[in-house]
Amino acid sequence: MNLALRLGAVLFLLAVWQVVAWLKIWPPVFVPEPVAVWDQLLRTSTEGYSGHTLAGHLLASLRRIVLGCLYGIGGGIVLGLLIGVVPVLRTLLNPLVTFVRTLPPLAYLSLLVIWFGIGEEPKVWLLLLAALPPVAVATADAVRGVHDDYLNAARSLGARPWEIPYRVVLPSALPEIVTGVRVAVGVAYTTVVAAETVNGVPGIGGMVRDAQRYNQTDVVVLGIIVIGLSGLLIDYLLQTLDRRLVPWRGRHI
Amino acid sequence: MPSPDPGDDETPAHSPAIELRAVTRVYRDRPALGPIDLAIPAGEFLTVVGPSGCGKSTLLSLVAGFAPPTAGTVLADGAPVRGPGPSRGVVFQQPRLFPWLSVSGNIAFGLRRLPKAARKERVAELLAMTGLENAARLKPYELSGGMRQRAAIARALAPRPKVLLMDEPFGALDAFTRERMQEEIRDLWRSTGVTVLFITHDVTEASTLGTRVIALAGPPGRISLDARVSEGLREKVEAAIRDAASARAA
Repeated sequence: MNLALRLGAVLFLLAVWQVVAWLKIWPPVFVPEPVAVWDQLLRTSTEGYSGHTLAGHLLASLRRIVLGCLYGIGGGIVLGLLIGVVPVLRTLLNPLVTFVRTLPPLAYLSLLVIWFGIGEEPKVWLLLLAALPPVAVATADAVRGVHDDYLNAARSLGARPWEIPYRVVLPSALPEIVTGVRVAVGVAYTTVVAAETVNGVPGIGGMVRDAQRYNQTDVVVLGIIVIGLSGLLIDYLLQTLDRRLVPWRGRHI
Repeated sequence: MPSPDPGDDETPAHSPAIELRAVTRVYRDRPALGPIDLAIPAGEFLTVVGPSGCGKSTLLSLVAGFAPPTAGTVLADGAPVRGPGPSRGVVFQQPRLFPWLSVSGNIAFGLRRLPKAARKERVAELLAMTGLENAARLKPYELSGGMRQRAAIARALAPRPKVLLMDEPFGALDAFTRERMQEEIRDLWRSTGVTVLFITHDVTEASTLGTRVIALAGPPGRISLDARVSEGLREKVEAAIRDAASARAA
């Protein structure tokens, strides 16, 4: 039922798109036909674009996203734990994290390019910096929100002080951390196109940028759709992970 | 209020399981408890009853070691309490089971330092004691309220504490389950010989469950009645609480 509804909505949008293209209100450079985009899908998948196939572009982007997110999530959890547990660090680091979080990634991309050149490093760094703050903030809040009873229960059961963070605090904070991870991956996804504006080929963002230079709107639209669809897929995977990791979410315990 | 020596049948050389000497606790300039003198001999089942806010839970957290007394000394087995520890198991009003662990995992939480085989054996023993054999692999959110609290009791008893501290453990259960749990905790007390400090605001529970009952009036919480449980006690307890309430209102 839901699937049918969604399929219907997609078909409807495609139909509207096709009709608008047919009416030629705007030239094809503004609104390419769905068929043209489909052709580009086939062509980029087989012949490639800018020297790489569509899959090659997508994999290059995904690799950056995965790397940036892994480092960002790892760093975010550690940083969030520290901010949540150590009051001095909270005072010191909280404004810094908020500062970085409110910056648009493009604002520090230039700096990263100066520091790390135009290879893979600045892109992964950019995604790391984009993914880290949401995880750090979610972790810090969750860590501070752990009910005293859990900590007291653990201490009464003989847990040593240094065991508490990983035996009680982190697992208690897991629901919020996983939510933070989903936000982080989303942010990394929106950032990857920006990261790939500088020497981004192979990469979906680089492909879109090249296509924009040559007014190949059909390739631009194709890139947008591929980014969106792969994002949907990844969020679905993260939701599955959420259910696996935090089966008690939303249940009264 | 004269406190009858409840340790008649204890040898005097034996220090009480729990002893409070002139203990007071102040929260942000507001006295919450004391001064209180109290000795709980080993093996006793002491219930503490009083209206909400009278300092019952403060008393429990001092004995558990969650908070230090503002003045006075809390002793467990003759040694000053410096923090929580496995010699004093705690059961909270909410079960507070770790939701990422199964029932077995929760019970095994305090058994880390046992070798694996001994740990498994101890967990099985506790599952049997609390009637949770068939729930070993279930997660806390898959249990009924009564089963959760049983698992919490099993978890607290696992490291063989000398004292079991219970903070209104059946307060959130329905009447039927509560009665059954009261039976079960008495059986567990008899079979394990653990000393129980049981906080409740339920007068019936207080005057029927244990071997000795103290009524707290407050804040700041003070012992307004200290009696062995016997016939006709319930009326006395009720009267003590009524008096304390009217004294506070006046």
